[in-house]
Amino acid sequence: MLLSVLSSVFNLKIFFFIILGVFTGISIGALPGLTATMGVALVLPLTFGMDAIPGILLLIGVYVGAIYGGSISAILLRTPGTPAAAATVLDGYEFSKRGESGRALGISTVSSFVGGVVSVIALWLISPQLAKLALRFSAPEFFLLAVFGLSIIASISGNSLAKGVLTGALGISLAFVGIDGITGYPRFTFNNINLLSGVSFIPVMIGLFAMSQAFTTIETIFTPDQVTQKVSNVFPTKADWKVIFKHAPISGVIGTIIGIVPGAGAEIGAFVSYGQAKRMSKNPERFGTGIPEGIAAPEAGNNGVTGGALIPMLTMGVPGDAVAAILIGALTVQGLQPGPMLFAEHPVLVYSIFLGMFVANVAMLLLGLSSLRLFVKVLSVPKSILTPMIFVLCVVGSYAINTSFFDVGVMLFFGVLGYFLQKADASVSPAVLGLILGPMAESNFRRALLMSEGNYGIFFTSPIAWIFLFLTTITLVGPFVGTYLKKRKAQA
Amino acid sequence: MKKANFVVSGAFTLFALAIIFLSRSYPPSNHGVPGPRMFPLIIAVLIIISSAALFINTLRMKPEDDVPVDLTSRNVLNVYITIAGLIVYITLLPLLGFITTTSIMLLLFFKWFSKYAWWKCLLISVLFTVGIWLLFGIVLNVPMRYGVLI
Repeated sequence: MLLSVLSSVFNLKIFFFIILGVFTGISIGALPGLTATMGVALVLPLTFGMDAIPGILLLIGVYVGAIYGGSISAILLRTPGTPAAAATVLDGYEFSKRGESGRALGISTVSSFVGGVVSVIALWLISPQLAKLALRFSAPEFFLLAVFGLSIIASISGNSLAKGVLTGALGISLAFVGIDGITGYPRFTFNNINLLSGVSFIPVMIGLFAMSQAFTTIETIFTPDQVTQKVSNVFPTKADWKVIFKHAPISGVIGTIIGIVPGAGAEIGAFVSYGQAKRMSKNPERFGTGIPEGIAAPEAGNNGVTGGALIPMLTMGVPGDAVAAILIGALTVQGLQPGPMLFAEHPVLVYSIFLGMFVANVAMLLLGLSSLRLFVKVLSVPKSILTPMIFVLCVVGSYAINTSFFDVGVMLFFGVLGYFLQKADASVSPAVLGLILGPMAESNFRRALLMSEGNYGIFFTSPIAWIFLFLTTITLVGPFVGTYLKKRKAQA
Repeated sequence: MKKANFVVSGAFTLFALAIIFLSRSYPPSNHGVPGPRMFPLIIAVLIIISSAALFINTLRMKPEDDVPVDLTSRNVLNVYITIAGLIVYITLLPLLGFITTTSIMLLLFFKWFSKYAWWKCLLISVLFTVGIWLLFGIVLNVPMRYGVLI
């Protein structure tokens, strides 16, 4: 198998797609307003006609590149290219103010690479073991796993838990549309033939993440684009290398762990890593003044999330973040079902993804150190030209999956809905979790009760089920306990 | 934000009531095994509870936390015009064909958003449209020939 994996990744065609993906990802990530999720959603339609390995690795290249690329505008323009780079702004822009933007970008590049590699190693070590464990899951365990995943909505809802639950429930409701998988009864189809097979998942994602973001950009379309400064001396100094190797591996591990948690994305990974580095520091007051630790930690943390997010996605079909959710869509289009059986039935594909992701991180490092000036030039592409082009890509991408104009309408509807939800300060990420985990919860709940002939005790019979019940309870009760303790501390 | 929260709360409550109304005729549970009606009802109830929680929290919101939501400024009106333009675009797209409709849509948006000369906007829009048409239609074999024109 090793030879098959090596030959399926180490060939010119795959290298081309990985490098193309990373290049595209860095460019997309560098442009403020274009997120990693948007980039992967826009490139996804290009993979429909490709084989599984090059297609998935192209998307992973975009993912890895975009998470890193966000740091470029964070450092140069004080505007994070992606939400994942928001923590990098704090110290990164201070370097630019001192005329050391090249140094900051070099630290960001190497730290992102270290964080990414740590996460790939974790992916390689943890995934096969988790898949073996998941092979023992049956319907009750999968139901409780889905419920645990949905309970994460409580933590990723932003400022309002109620709004998070509402958008999560909206995602679950969308999954009801179509013929019921167990009884064959059509639900919420309104006698429309386009709805019999359900609402297509990919146009919804393109609408919620790409189109709605493009609408938000329109609000500032007449604001002049920011001018960037020249970049030089990107290779880190000896002192910077020391800082990178002290902080980046730890932040990579933190990012990976956060990536594993369903729904928690690179933004959280970056901020938690930044906070951890600050706590570890002897001089925490220097954070925010432009120190290498302030770039190394969040950049390694956000790229650490990339591998972590793929662990639950590949082993159990549960997305670690929004990009992993799109990758589930990409695998499904290829006729592959993420989950433990993927490891048993397509081991070459799975290990090629692992190896390909490592290659993507190397490509990111080399492109980052050698071509930063080129990516800085990307920042000068005016948004007045780019945004209408994104409209076309969204339309063609959602049309291409089923060659259906109905899907284009679905995409536009969810683009508009996503825009207004953002206006109302409601995060759309819970909707994605709901869309994927809702059907998983429902079908396994009903299957479990079919198995037990209606006996609800089936959900409490295995130790794995109890673990998920425990984790769900902690996730749901945790935030309330935390708030209560904070209040008590404040009163004391 | 208060008004926006009330609108969100009301809209989701209506959505939940629609789910309950539409699923009333679906087959019920059979011998303890849930039918296709059970989950939609559970989710609808969850939506109603969350909408009520949002409504009550908003009533309790302190005046200083009530950040206004911009829905009527010039910048937001530009978004509404863009959305209207895109609705016209995707309506005409299958009737007229990809290259014609997309080139015209891009030309108009470029000219509106940027200060480039007409010929530059036209050149970029045609080149980009043809590039996408070739990529999807020829390289990726997506059927891109539709409509009375091209």
